[in-house]
Amino acid sequence: MTKPVLNASFVKIFAMAALETLQTQCSFKATAGKPFPKGSGETMDTAIAGVIGITSSMFRGSIALCFPEATFLNVMSGMLGEKYTVIDKDLEDGAAELLNIIFGCAKKSLAAGGHTVERAIPSIVRGKGIEVRHMSKAPILVIPFHSENGGFQIEMVLE
Amino acid sequence: MFPMNTRILIVDDMKTMRIVIKRALLALGFADVAEADDGDNALIAVEAAVREQRPYKLIISDWTMARVSGLDFLKKIRAHEVMSKVPFLMITAESDAAQVKEAITAGVSNYVTKPFTQDTVKLKLEEIWKKHAS
Repeated sequence: MTKPVLNASFVKIFAMAALETLQTQCSFKATAGKPFPKGSGETMDTAIAGVIGITSSMFRGSIALCFPEATFLNVMSGMLGEKYTVIDKDLEDGAAELLNIIFGCAKKSLAAGGHTVERAIPSIVRGKGIEVRHMSKAPILVIPFHSENGGFQIEMVLE
Repeated sequence: MFPMNTRILIVDDMKTMRIVIKRALLALGFADVAEADDGDNALIAVEAAVREQRPYKLIISDWTMARVSGLDFLKKIRAHEVMSKVPFLMITAESDAAQVKEAITAGVSNYVTKPFTQDTVKLKLEEIWKKHAS
């Protein structure tokens, strides 16, 4: 039997984990918007994304943390305590590291609800106006985040 | 608290997290802070420091690294002839009970769960120092 795993509580757990991670690690305060299926809501010019494969006994899929250039530079400036104006090699792994931390926070909350979930080593996608290609053909859900220092998105696809 | 001239090794395969940890240590007043980008290179750095007779007095390592994990690195340090007693702070993004138990069994001194602030690092170091000094 296939269970609908992308339910509201699952999405909320990842959204809360992202907010906590960015606020604590990067002093970056944001708010989460209403999730929407990819292609049916606001679009974003992604410059860098961290992507991670996740598995559990109930599902498998992937999660991408996507940033426009300006937002990512603001997030990294908050995390590393210096002003950055370009995404160089040293900054790139920040997208993957933040996704690692978000996953760790979410995993803890999911474990409290009796769900175990594991992840693979994250990868980084860089470019201008990139589109993350997820391994699954299942619908992609987008969680938008907004802040005065720029927006970002989390893409989730589980099957 | 550890003396400010404590020789410290940070081990993390993510450059950004090494910067975060180093920045926190420098802000706390530590000055002698080295970095290694994985467990293998950390062991090379540890051996070199021992040969120079200036061994690291504190190791701060990430748990999840692509090649040698923080746990495997910790086990190698605890089996090391000279370094077996060095305070070892583990930093981890995933702190489930089984993982914590595994780290304690392997001899970790303390651990920090990400995300963390500079104050958390300070608190954990103070806790280690109290145990270490007693």
